[in-house]
Amino acid sequence: MSRNRARRKALVGSLVLSLQLLAAHPLRTALSLSGLLIGVATLIVMVAVGQGAERRVLERMRSMGTNLLIVIAAPAPRVLGRPRQVPVYTSLRVADASAIAEGSALAVAAAPVVTRPVVVHSDGFNTATVLTGTTPGGLLIRNIQADSGRLFNADDDQQQRRVALLGPTVAGSLFRGLDPVGRAIRVGRVPFEVIGVMRPLGTDPGGVDHDDQVVIPLTTAIRRVLNIPYVHTVLVQARNSADLDRLERDVRDILHARLPARSGTADPFIIQNQAVLLRTERGASRAMSRLTAGVAILAALVGGVGIAAVMLISVRERTREIGLRRALGARRRDIGRQFVLESAILAAIGGAAGVSVGVAAAAAAAILGPWELVISWAPALLGFCGSTLLGLAAGAIPAARAARLEPIEALQTE
Amino acid sequence: MIDVENLTKSYRKGATATQVLKGVTLRIAQGEFVSIMGRSGSGKSTLLNILGLLDQPDGGRYRLDGIDFSTADDDALSAARNRKIGFVFQQFHLLERASALRNVTLPLLYADGESDDGMARAEMALDAVGLSHRTHHVPSELSGGEQQRVAIARALINRPVLILADEPTGNLDAQAGTEILDIFRRLVTEGRTLVLVTHDMHVAACTDRTLVLDDGRITAERPGAIPSRIPREGRIDRA
Repeated sequence: MSRNRARRKALVGSLVLSLQLLAAHPLRTALSLSGLLIGVATLIVMVAVGQGAERRVLERMRSMGTNLLIVIAAPAPRVLGRPRQVPVYTSLRVADASAIAEGSALAVAAAPVVTRPVVVHSDGFNTATVLTGTTPGGLLIRNIQADSGRLFNADDDQQQRRVALLGPTVAGSLFRGLDPVGRAIRVGRVPFEVIGVMRPLGTDPGGVDHDDQVVIPLTTAIRRVLNIPYVHTVLVQARNSADLDRLERDVRDILHARLPARSGTADPFIIQNQAVLLRTERGASRAMSRLTAGVAILAALVGGVGIAAVMLISVRERTREIGLRRALGARRRDIGRQFVLESAILAAIGGAAGVSVGVAAAAAAAILGPWELVISWAPALLGFCGSTLLGLAAGAIPAARAARLEPIEALQTE
Repeated sequence: MIDVENLTKSYRKGATATQVLKGVTLRIAQGEFVSIMGRSGSGKSTLLNILGLLDQPDGGRYRLDGIDFSTADDDALSAARNRKIGFVFQQFHLLERASALRNVTLPLLYADGESDDGMARAEMALDAVGLSHRTHHVPSELSGGEQQRVAIARALINRPVLILADEPTGNLDAQAGTEILDIFRRLVTEGRTLVLVTHDMHVAACTDRTLVLDDGRITAERPGAIPSRIPREGRIDRA
């Protein structure tokens, strides 16, 4: 017991001495730390950036619905036997949506959607935006909610009522701060009543602003505005994202059975799988994170080499001190341990400084810049512990060299 | 205490080997105060280093306190240096940034076992060399004589049986040198064995016995002039 306590005391004693010696050469100590500091700080900032990007992707995906398949009608190469310059989408019908909902056990809901670029007028202003027509079920799938006013319902859809929901961007352009609910707008030449303003959805990873649209009931859109018999998109919702790949196969089979195959072209529809998009996005951001983390770790390793070099200089400078310690009873391993400890302390200080600088930089960037950063404890802990371990390793060679010195030769060094 | 028989030692520098000790035989009893004299290169420092277990002889036998250290490993040699021997060097060899007190406690870092009272023991050791008022000064704030007295306190902290001093007064003026020798004399009267290397006749004259080393061999042995050098009471205990 007392033996252990004495050892611990001795360790603390040499720790204090090591710190004093490091403090005696502040510039050299600082320089030897800088590599490690930069490495750890970079690591922390990069992980924060990477996690921020990933969270942003996830949030956007969630705003669109992560359990979603988007079936898009492929542009028809010919209409009535004639090639078209402007693409026309004719393959999907409203009935296809209900067929999917009924045909696959994995589909929770399916909603047809039509879209078209339009100019919308209010009393005094107009703006170019996108008209979206869908069912109340489509509002649910797309997670569209009313910030003010109300959503349209099944009755509005059946009665082909001219009621409109405005995205926040459109509402701002047309009404400039006034409350749009209850006011009149025109979509093209068709008059509508604004019944609600949507809660903001944000921009998706493809850069589409989902707040810049006017949403109206599907039937109203088809019969009263667009006058077309087909729809552009069908949204299909799965119970969870794990089912998406199987649901995609189901949907493909159902649509193949319903739609006549075109000669010489691919499917008349495209299925966008949110799970695949999510995987791709995350994969990209992770690859980026890994690359930068690799660079940061490389920088930290270079920092470790710097520490080893400084420790070697220190051994050479303190040869006489080593000889004295040997004369006073220090064993080879006591000397070795002291230098390893010093190296580890040096590296731990560098790591801690790197963590502080990294966290401060990430926090500053998050506050001042347009970036979203997630500061987490894991990389900070990893940076600190990794640095300390690196210091232990970096101290090995200098420590071995110090321990090898013969006491009498070391004492006689000038 | 010290039993040396036919000790040899040579150093190799490049292709040429120089034999420094050519068969030294000597005996020193416990409580003796012995000086080793000789010209530069006579081998006196080498002999002292071997006696202090800092260097290993090539041949011969050396027993310290009844133990033969010729086949001992690093741990055993280190432990013996720590517990049995106290060193005093010509250049003092103090840690420059550490206080007198911390310098004195340095050997305790490497001593296993009871060191809880280390600080108290260090203060006592400093008190014994008349430096109780200088415990928190760093070496650069101390005079040469004071620095050497810190080094003596450091040598005493683990209560060694043997104290080895290599030209302990070589860097000091006559006054400070006398004080150091007075301290040594008192340590001997307390029962410690003290061996010092010097080339100063006056220093050697203060010891019980002088061994003269010439060209690697002991060529003369004569008693020191003890009577005139007995420490006067109270001399070194000034506060």
